[in-house]
Amino acid sequence: MTFLTVVIRGLLRRPVRTCLTLAGISIGIAAVVALVGMSRGFEKGWQVGLKARGTDLVVSSRGGSLTPKPFNASIRDQIARLPGIAATCNLLVQVTSVEDSDLMILSAREWGGFSWSNLKLVTGRMPQSGEEQAVVLGQTAADILKKKVGDPIQIETAELKVVGIVKGGALVEDGSVIMSLALLQKILASPDQINAIDVRVTPGTNEKQLQILIQQIQRQVPEVRAVSVADHLSNSEGFRMVRAMTWGTSLLAVLVGVLGVMNTMLMTVFERTHEICVLLAVGWKRSRIIQMVLYESALLGFFGGVIGVTIGALGVRALGETPALRGLLQPDLGFPLLALSVLIAVAVGVFSGLYPAWRSSRLAPSQALQAG
Amino acid sequence: MIPPSSSAVPLLEAEGLTRAFDDGQVQALRGVDFSIQEGEFIAITGPSGCGKSTLLQLLGLLDQPTSGTLLYRGDSLPALRDPAAYRASEIGFIFQAFHLLPTFTAAENVQIPMFGTGRSLSERRERAAELLKLVGLEDRSDHFPSKLSGGERQRVAIARSLANEPALLLADEPTGNLDSKNAHLILDLIVRLQQEHGRTMVMVTHDPSIAERAGRILHMMDGKVVSDKPSPRTGS
Repeated sequence: MTFLTVVIRGLLRRPVRTCLTLAGISIGIAAVVALVGMSRGFEKGWQVGLKARGTDLVVSSRGGSLTPKPFNASIRDQIARLPGIAATCNLLVQVTSVEDSDLMILSAREWGGFSWSNLKLVTGRMPQSGEEQAVVLGQTAADILKKKVGDPIQIETAELKVVGIVKGGALVEDGSVIMSLALLQKILASPDQINAIDVRVTPGTNEKQLQILIQQIQRQVPEVRAVSVADHLSNSEGFRMVRAMTWGTSLLAVLVGVLGVMNTMLMTVFERTHEICVLLAVGWKRSRIIQMVLYESALLGFFGGVIGVTIGALGVRALGETPALRGLLQPDLGFPLLALSVLIAVAVGVFSGLYPAWRSSRLAPSQALQAG
Repeated sequence: MIPPSSSAVPLLEAEGLTRAFDDGQVQALRGVDFSIQEGEFIAITGPSGCGKSTLLQLLGLLDQPTSGTLLYRGDSLPALRDPAAYRASEIGFIFQAFHLLPTFTAAENVQIPMFGTGRSLSERRERAAELLKLVGLEDRSDHFPSKLSGGERQRVAIARSLANEPALLLADEPTGNLDSKNAHLILDLIVRLQQEHGRTMVMVTHDPSIAERAGRILHMMDGKVVSDKPSPRTGS
């Protein structure tokens, strides 16, 4: 019999309670995996989308929510004049409901801008002009909206026509309704309003030159913020908010797990007072008793973590298949997140076991002789 | 039979030992003096509440005296820096209620005191098998306590008490929870183990016929040793 056997026997003493505690931790960890995985996946999707459009810098307004606040399109002219800038493309991006889909990315791009160039036609055609009452749909967006070429589509108050299905090379692009900027501005009655400018720099620009260019843009137009594609999302107010909410909710779920393990371990220590006293009476050191309780709680955390990671990963994939989120979710469930989640679960276990372990170490072995 | 050692330093020596509870309102021990030589078999008798078990707990460092001195091989016991190590290496406990751990088999219960003593897994297993054979339970090693009779449980507890080859065995009413047949079997086993291996044994009992199996009987009353005589049966 090894020390691990002693620890496992302790957990198996009350299998139902151990299972319920595992369920508690698992749910907490599943929430961490699902929420953080979705949030990271969403960010990554945007980043890949920007790169697929050949964008090096994004200029947007300061503040705002998930999509930045609109600003005047004339700002682009001030930026385009700067040396080192190869091309610019005005955008108006909204996350809104379109017909039966509650959450759809509406990506309006300046007609003729480079942000159209990465789109590859799958069927149909591209719009013939910036004024044509037409949209193209990313493949996933077409699936979600159940549209094919020639179908009408309701965008805000206007009925447009789907003229093509495109492949954008990124999740966000594939999940978007793409149309001409002028058309959306007209529909929204917001002429000259944009909320982002995609900027392509001259080839061969290194990271240092990029940073200098960013500073020049900031000086030239202080009311906007220019960031490289890599930094764009980490600086986005909207994504910061999403990240904070994600971690906040996750930690709340983890806290429930902490209380669950602590309760179980305290109950274990109370129930096993006699057993612990016998162990002390036959010569076990108090440090070994503490070690036993902490190992038990850490093991609870570990198994809870592994189960939670599995539930979270499967759950988030299932969620991604629901009509409301299909095409918008490509969760980032990489090894670092999964390992971090299990690590959090083990830490939860150890932390929750500290007080019960301390309590167990305070027991007087003489109680063993008095009991039973 | 190995005779008690006549070395100058007693194995255990108590002087003016007291133990009070509830801020002195309950005086369990009121100044106990005695000494035990190595290899002696002592029975402590007396009516319920006279302080026998309290004294046994002090000898096993399960509890601390309120005052007085308690020496083990000349060293003060309450001042020991590592009471757990003393309990593990020097003491073997046999309890009235056996106190086996219910989720461990007989062999595993015997292995429990060996954790932290530097024995390897195979050594622990071998030692447990050897001890269960000694108490006649080699065919019950994989049984959980719930599947053992009272006598068998106590035999496992005796095997456990011998796990680390302690110098001193402390038994608190070891036959108190057994029927008369099993009580005699257990007592015979205890006496045999004590005599064959020359271990020092202190046994608490309220039964005079059991006490007579010891070499010396300390009789307690109201927290004091009122008589300290050789057993009439052994005449030693």
